[in-house]
Amino acid sequence: MSETDARALRFEFEELLYREAAWLDEGRFEEWLELFDSTVRYWAPVRENVPRGEEPLEELHRLTHFEDDKGNLELRVKRLRTGFAHAEEPPSRTRHFVTNVRVLDGDDSDRVSVASNLLVFRSRERRDEVLFSCDRRDRWRRTQAGWRCEERRILFDHDVIESLTVLF
Amino acid sequence: MQYKTLIDVERCTVHPRAFFDPDVYEAEQDRVFGHQWLCIGHESQLPEPGDFLTTTMGEESVLVVRDPKRRIRVFLNSCRHRGTRVCRVDSGRARNFMCPYHGWTYDTEGRLRGVPQLREAYHEELDRDAWSLVEVPRVESFRGLLFANFDAEAVSLDDHLGDMKWYLDLVLHRSRGGTVALPGVHRWRLGGNWKLAAEQFGGDNYHTGALHQSMIKIGLGPSGDYRGDRPWEVDFEAKLEGGHGWINFDVPIGELPPPVEKWMETVRREARETLAPEQQGLVHGIQVGTVFPNLSILAFLGFVTIRVWHPRGPRAIEVWSYGLIERDAPPEVREFARKMQTLTFSSSGIFEQDDGAVWGDVVDSLSGAQRRHYPLNYSMGHGHGRRKPGRPGLLHTLSTEIGVFGFYEYWRRCMAKPT
Repeated sequence: MSETDARALRFEFEELLYREAAWLDEGRFEEWLELFDSTVRYWAPVRENVPRGEEPLEELHRLTHFEDDKGNLELRVKRLRTGFAHAEEPPSRTRHFVTNVRVLDGDDSDRVSVASNLLVFRSRERRDEVLFSCDRRDRWRRTQAGWRCEERRILFDHDVIESLTVLF
Repeated sequence: MQYKTLIDVERCTVHPRAFFDPDVYEAEQDRVFGHQWLCIGHESQLPEPGDFLTTTMGEESVLVVRDPKRRIRVFLNSCRHRGTRVCRVDSGRARNFMCPYHGWTYDTEGRLRGVPQLREAYHEELDRDAWSLVEVPRVESFRGLLFANFDAEAVSLDDHLGDMKWYLDLVLHRSRGGTVALPGVHRWRLGGNWKLAAEQFGGDNYHTGALHQSMIKIGLGPSGDYRGDRPWEVDFEAKLEGGHGWINFDVPIGELPPPVEKWMETVRREARETLAPEQQGLVHGIQVGTVFPNLSILAFLGFVTIRVWHPRGPRAIEVWSYGLIERDAPPEVREFARKMQTLTFSSSGIFEQDDGAVWGDVVDSLSGAQRRHYPLNYSMGHGHGRRKPGRPGLLHTLSTEIGVFGFYEYWRRCMAKPT
């Protein structure tokens, strides 16, 4: 890929990820859901304190903080819309900060791996202000309707984490 | 303070101080966590000699290791020289543990083996045998669950569990192979007092309709229809001696995928061999329970979670939740269980989030200078428990708080003891 094409592709994903962040912060969850392919795997390994290089993130049947397919993501959103999701009702205030966007491989013009750093600030009910820091590794597929996410791995920088009431 | 006055056994009330007072919390660390059987993990996490894990008993960091004779040993994870944690990773396999500070090194039986400059600096005068890691004196297990106790004089685990074993077996002994732990631990922080989590799993079915209403609305929670018109032997709660409590109800929730349904059929068939007839009919549906003080269990939607509510000060809980699965469960059943547990009862669980949202609130409210004078009501069902031959404990229909208050009656006994 030429340097110009690479820049254009990175710019395209920066725009996409910024738009996604805005949808989450504005509570436009249904629009957010549309970004995900029907086959998506949305997951987040639990972190473990082990010697450097030995963390078994990919181990079979290992517990994860998220292990959602499209149906599960839809359930999470549907729940938020019931008006009785007490952990998010009244809703928390969130701000998703996306940085360090990198297109990792873009040689296949229809499938792209994209890495980004994400910092999420959440506050609710006059107390409980927390930060979540993570690395996201996405695999996106080009469709007629635009890019669709086939896999998102959220690697949290926390071993003991705050309650995950928001989306990443 | 006379801690026992916090619980009024006649009026079934609990004083707010039980939930926020630092003095009560400090006393609890000794009188409850210093003398009760505390869950430290599952045997399947340590299959071979040298396998170890670290966890906490109360707030105390402990090292759990299988020694060369295959015995599970538990030690305070603290060097005898300056107190540094000798093991700073979560799990692994090791022959010895070297303190990072000055290099004192202990073997898997806790013995001090290596001391840098033993000759030059200690003049050969250090008696290494006298400086082993401090060992937690009692370690016992039930159906794979590992427990330890700081109190050498404590009753056996078997006696402590008592009638609760009959109920735990509905989950842990319903198949021939028993259970193993899935790899990994869900660990997350919540506001609130550890007792609020333990009491809820030990018998608060009452909260489901309100707090988890969002789940009922999206079809994943038990709807209100089951209340009132079903035989009390099917949907019931049990208050057990020792502060334990159990909820059992058979409400179909959605459909499990065919491989999971097929597997559950296998489990129920095996249960006809492993369980008594009275138990066999209770393997369906949902089971929830608390083993005093801070271990809870939940079997729901094809998964089993056990979790320890670690106290982290009067106003904070660190949840460590494990996934259990039948040893012989096929891979697709394991995957389904893992996914459902993560979706519903975990750090991101859409049931569990709402529990975490209120426990912190409870403690913050109760510590108000005015609110703290008004006790909490735990009287639901008091005096209406009944007995059923062949089924242990004092029983009541859903919903009741006899089990929840039983937790505090036992807590009161622990707290009243002089130390």
